[in-house]
Amino acid sequence: MNETVHTMSTQPSELGDAAAEGVGELLRRGTKGAPIATYAEGEPPISWQTISDGGWDVFGVLDDGEGASLRDLVELARAWGHGCVQQPLVTTLLAKRHSAAAAAHAGPVTIALPLPGGAAPYVPFGQVPGVVLATGLGRGSDELVPVPEGTPETLAISSRGIQADVHTELAAVVAREIAVTLAAAATGMAERLLADTLAFVKEREQFGKPIGSFQAVKHQLADAAIDAELAETAVIWGAERPDEAFRGALFAVDRCIDIAETAIQAQGGLGFTWEVGLHFPLRQMILTRDVVNALEVEHA
Amino acid sequence: MTASVVRVPDLDLESFAARAEKWLTESVPARWRESRGRLSNEESDELRRDWDRKLWQGGYSGLSIPAEYGGCALGLAEEVVFHVLAGKAQAPDGFTRVGKTLVAPMLIKSGTAEQKAKYLPPLMRGDEVWCQGFSEPEAGSDLANIQTRARRVEGGYLLSGRKTWTSFAQHADWCFVLAQTQPDAPRYRNLSMFLVGMHQPGITLSDIKQISGAVHFAETRFEDVFVADSDRVGEDGEGWKVAMRVLGDERGGVETASRYVEIRSDVDLLIRTVGDRPALTARLRELDVRAELLRWQLAKVVDREVGDPERLLRSASVLKVMWSELWQDVTRFGLEVSPAADRDHWQYQYLEARAASIYSGTNEIQRNILSERVLGLPR
Repeated sequence: MNETVHTMSTQPSELGDAAAEGVGELLRRGTKGAPIATYAEGEPPISWQTISDGGWDVFGVLDDGEGASLRDLVELARAWGHGCVQQPLVTTLLAKRHSAAAAAHAGPVTIALPLPGGAAPYVPFGQVPGVVLATGLGRGSDELVPVPEGTPETLAISSRGIQADVHTELAAVVAREIAVTLAAAATGMAERLLADTLAFVKEREQFGKPIGSFQAVKHQLADAAIDAELAETAVIWGAERPDEAFRGALFAVDRCIDIAETAIQAQGGLGFTWEVGLHFPLRQMILTRDVVNALEVEHA
Repeated sequence: MTASVVRVPDLDLESFAARAEKWLTESVPARWRESRGRLSNEESDELRRDWDRKLWQGGYSGLSIPAEYGGCALGLAEEVVFHVLAGKAQAPDGFTRVGKTLVAPMLIKSGTAEQKAKYLPPLMRGDEVWCQGFSEPEAGSDLANIQTRARRVEGGYLLSGRKTWTSFAQHADWCFVLAQTQPDAPRYRNLSMFLVGMHQPGITLSDIKQISGAVHFAETRFEDVFVADSDRVGEDGEGWKVAMRVLGDERGGVETASRYVEIRSDVDLLIRTVGDRPALTARLRELDVRAELLRWQLAKVVDREVGDPERLLRSASVLKVMWSELWQDVTRFGLEVSPAADRDHWQYQYLEARAASIYSGTNEIQRNILSERVLGLPR
């Protein structure tokens, strides 16, 4: 409360800026601007090999405590989220940052994340062949184990996630980093939905005009733009002030869901179809909210 | 204003903040801090006028105005820091806000050398107060629909018309007025900008009482008021251009800084008085988060958007919508849940806050700006 802007920093380091730029380039080359729906359920347009060749999975690894800050991870995760490409980059990044066993492992790593109300934990990318599970991050045993069979998580369609009776022990600091980073990825997804929706309403005509020229539509999108600003600010806040990590992440994810709802509304009957695919990122956002909520209950 | 874009390193900003905080603690009059609610209008006006002069003497007048015009040649970051600290120190709100945030940047961008020399020094010293003559009964959101006329006469113009929602009119020495000079010219090219002395015959003021009971505004009538050619800013017919250059300025950040302090203090009052009621926790938490995010949004603007007109346009609208709707939500919540002792406070704040989404460009106009000029949606 006693701080003014002179004690607040909102910018990532050069490391974070460069990573966001690099990941943006990786996504542009990999997806060539294709609509999300064209790859949401099939083979991801960017292979794990490409991601790992670029060293993106080890971006968060710390050397004697030196390296990318959480603020830098936020910048990378947001850029990555924008592509809506479902590869286990965020979980691997976090696992390698906080587990020596994961850091020494060449392939993708996942984490068992809590869900509210005592539901069986959610293992993102649990159906991806070759993915292994970290048993402890910053706490508990530091091992990698095979992912058990489990049952497909219905919201995690494109991330091929499962619910399974497994557990990853998390240090409080790791729980906070997971919450903020997942929220940052969701923020990137929301920004993507907003951009796609703007393109749609400029094209789509009703009553002989683009629907984006109607004030009722415009003001919803203006609100979505404000929500996108707020979501970004909230994850920055959560990254810079550890005590606020869960509140920041949760607020950001709620704004992302608001944006996704607006995207569906603005794209109308098309936006509501499975094949247009707006629901894939929305499902991720809902899952992220559940995870952040449960992490807060366990670690706040 | 390019000169205000100079960004000092963070270290310097910290020492600036420390120095400013110390100065504020020593300089805010105890009479204002402790008993401003009980002062007579005259006493309160005197302290506020005096505060503008103190700012000048202390070296805090016109923080982001270039040194050659009497300012401090610092940047938006210092403006924001100073306004937050001033709010916390419960410093008086002086009378020079309109002059410093609108008139000074306008004259620096569009004024003649004579105009700058004549008007900027007394403004910076806190000796002269300005008010703004833009809004009219028929020109609110549609500002270009201005009906006030300035008729050409020998050596200048005769100004006639009605301006409304004029802040500081009762205290003002000068008014900057947008008026029609070319009735037959197309919209946006029919207006000119004038600097009009308020102490002359033909000007009458009447107070406008607001729904809160407060009187912050006046209606100003001009009847054949003379303005010399040398007091026209920009060419005849360029008034809209001159006005728009001012409205797109960096004032959004400074205004938000002051608002943040008031909102923060209102949220803190709620936390103190109803923070222990479990049924209210979720709503209070949301308001608390939004208040903090207002400050972080402002910090984000200061960190990355200074000197980038396109991003400032976006952030000015985002900030305006954010703080005004947050303030309204906070006061409505306060009104609903406050203990008896605070009822008067919340009733007043609630009614006052209704204006926040109306002035400085209604929130509907802000959303038009965002969707059309920032997001590029078709008109």
